[in-house]
Amino acid sequence: MQKIDITILKFLLDYNVQLIRPPLSGQLKDIFLIFEKELNSNYTLASDGNCSYDHLTFETFVGIIHEINRLTNNAITLTDPLLVQYDKNKSVVSHIDTFSLKILYDMLTNTNREKQKQKQKHKEKHKEKATDYGPTSISLTDNLLKLLNGNENCMDPETHCDEAHDMLLFEVPLKKNLYSRLERILKEEPISYLLNKERARHSVEKFKYFPICHNREHSHLLSQCVYISNNKIVSIQWSKLNKFNKVSQQNKHHIFLQCIQTHIHYIPNLKPQTDLSLGDCSYLDTCHKLNSCRYLHYLQYIPETLNESVEKQSKIYNSREINNLMFYTHGLCCAYSNKLLLPPQWIRCDVRNFDFTILGKFSAVIADPAWNIHMNLPYGTCNDIELLELPLGELQIEGILFLWVTGRAIELGKESLSKWGYEVINEVSWIKTNQLGRTIVTGRTGHWLNHSKEHLLVGVKGNPQWLNKHIDIDIIVSTTRETSRKPDELYGIIERLVGQHARKLEIFGRDHNIRPGWFTVGNQLTGTCIHEMDVRKKYEKWIKSTTAAATIS
Amino acid sequence: MSQIEMPSVQRKSEDSIRSLRHVDFRPMKVLYNNDYSNNYIHSNSYPQKHVTNIENTVEGYPKLQKLFKEKSRQIANYATKPYGCKVDIDEMIPTLNKWIQNDKLSFDVVMIGCLTDNQLIYPLLTQLPLDKLISKPGFLFIWASVHKINELSKLLNNEIWAKKFRRSEELIFVPIDKNSPFYPGLDVDDSSVLEKMQWHCWMCITGTVRRSTDGHLIHCNVDTDLTIETKETCNSAVPSHLYKIAENFSTATRRLHIIPARTGFETPVRLRPGWVIMSPDILMNNFRPKKYKSDIAKIGYNVPLKNEIEILRPKSPVSK
Repeated sequence: MQKIDITILKFLLDYNVQLIRPPLSGQLKDIFLIFEKELNSNYTLASDGNCSYDHLTFETFVGIIHEINRLTNNAITLTDPLLVQYDKNKSVVSHIDTFSLKILYDMLTNTNREKQKQKQKHKEKHKEKATDYGPTSISLTDNLLKLLNGNENCMDPETHCDEAHDMLLFEVPLKKNLYSRLERILKEEPISYLLNKERARHSVEKFKYFPICHNREHSHLLSQCVYISNNKIVSIQWSKLNKFNKVSQQNKHHIFLQCIQTHIHYIPNLKPQTDLSLGDCSYLDTCHKLNSCRYLHYLQYIPETLNESVEKQSKIYNSREINNLMFYTHGLCCAYSNKLLLPPQWIRCDVRNFDFTILGKFSAVIADPAWNIHMNLPYGTCNDIELLELPLGELQIEGILFLWVTGRAIELGKESLSKWGYEVINEVSWIKTNQLGRTIVTGRTGHWLNHSKEHLLVGVKGNPQWLNKHIDIDIIVSTTRETSRKPDELYGIIERLVGQHARKLEIFGRDHNIRPGWFTVGNQLTGTCIHEMDVRKKYEKWIKSTTAAATIS
Repeated sequence: MSQIEMPSVQRKSEDSIRSLRHVDFRPMKVLYNNDYSNNYIHSNSYPQKHVTNIENTVEGYPKLQKLFKEKSRQIANYATKPYGCKVDIDEMIPTLNKWIQNDKLSFDVVMIGCLTDNQLIYPLLTQLPLDKLISKPGFLFIWASVHKINELSKLLNNEIWAKKFRRSEELIFVPIDKNSPFYPGLDVDDSSVLEKMQWHCWMCITGTVRRSTDGHLIHCNVDTDLTIETKETCNSAVPSHLYKIAENFSTATRRLHIIPARTGFETPVRLRPGWVIMSPDILMNNFRPKKYKSDIAKIGYNVPLKNEIEILRPKSPVSK
């Protein structure tokens, strides 16, 4: 190899980051020009001192790059190697593997004497290793590389030969680099997922969000400043806060005050009967015996000023982002930002003998049936058979169905879904939390183990290309509310998946489930409210025919 | 010096008092719950990160903390030394058959699989005489990706299997974020509509145990069916909590873990006291059936009852 090659190598090594980043963006032609300029301004090699060169053409430069690639097993990734042959000006360097370049560089620059010295060193280190497994960092990595290569002979320092060592030193990292690069490529998310996430960030309304303080001392201090009446925080005494100011250090106090003004705090609700040694109440804010329970309870404290400022911030964000959406945005319906949602619609009915064809087709369906499972029966009870027989297959030509399941119903749910023509493609877990954001660990909430989560099966029918995939993850973390009431976070997840304006249905819904853009059916709803004209007409016709049939019989 | 500085400090605190007067600490009247799914969209911070008892699940419950401490001490006192059995995946079934037939070995707790993809669980389940390997009553835990568990359900729902092994609980393990070694990544299928962030486990029971009367065999409701990755679960193919759930539930001392997958050098399979671990990547190969049998004979088949634990552990209400 000539000196010029080593200089190019050194140049690539030194500037590997800058070359790939904008404004150069890895344009080979520009890299060459920069290199030429560097040469003229006496670019120096660390080991060889100043060098001067004759005229260097772009062609030879590219040739050298290829030579380096040949030696290092493509350490310099060119976007299209074919392109280089035809239009050399347009090829782009997308990745420089400094590790293998460094090895090549070291091999080329080290004089023989140095090389031997190094070998000696390695030998010594191997000997050391044979007796002592101390942290000799270099030989450890060497050994790891050898292990990766699967060459077991090299484990033994006695049979270890220098030439093989050189080979290994050179080849193994390359192999490993290839593996890691391959792994990286395989793990890479499709750009469509990233695009979906980015679009969601700009099109989804931002809710108020308050971080929670985890500092126990803060809640302890606050409990001494707070005036609680009737299990509600009435006021905070700033004079006492000030007292803590004198007691604690100035800056510490400052952090304390800052924390109060930015975080949610849970303040112990100390009562005469509270016995601190018992610990926290299992029910916390949902405890029915607040006035006699000896366990510790808490009260949520968010300053009104914090609420106002967060609300203002999210309002500004929402009006800025959502109003600035383009009329046509990929993955959203057109005129997304000024299209109104349909008001909530619902029908009170017995789902078992309801004519689902009235409703038309939906993009997304949620069903939260009251499963009636007895552990000792091999099959589901009558209710479950009825559920299986529901004509849910008619609600969608292609679309997505969410089915809440518990315990043994997981299997029954999967069976039902495939019977209705769905394929289970995801399982969402709802991690149930309490007032303090902890998972539920107490009580006997399950038969063998306690249950801290619930399952939601996700089934897909047909091949819906219009779904905006991988915006959300398959975990929901949300507090428990009334018995069997499911988290509202799911609505947001579904709306991001199928679009806010798509038709969406919830079966077995209750009054708290109705919401704009959704159709709810269930026997516990109050009354009926339909805004879509065609659905209303069909519904009235059906009601007439069923009442007529009832009077005839 | 100090005399000069004093007034300035005083002035400072007076300043802060004055500023305090202007800060309004009035509490908000309505309660508010964060929407962590919405927050994830805008901040990219995973919902599970906001669970407040990840590192200490029983935070705030002194009784449960004591129970966990007592349990782990008692389990450690009656554990065999850690055993590893390094065999290739192809050799697993012949080896296990040899243990069953020649050495008359059986186990009460058998765990299959770990948190990696590409596990060969199906052939293992179909070719192994599992009912001979697992004594009655016995407990079987199968850990795999959600996708794989779904595939296995066809096998585990068939009547012959379902009669032998009753599916009792479905456990999940949730990695903390994308940088976790347990992040499932893009699964083999790209049909999923939500990003996958969990591993599943089937807990099966063979034989009969009753939770009200069999307190010497099982301790129910100690753990929960959910595990979130903690700081200490890093750099191992099997988070220790997966073992703990099985140990806390069954009092049996004969425990076997089979890992029918290569886990690689980055996530080694570590040994654990009280367990025989069979894997192609286990760090030690020290298992001898005879030695194991004599070990078990010394400590007994079950962790003995201990009064402190009996008082603390959750129990079924006594029927009147």
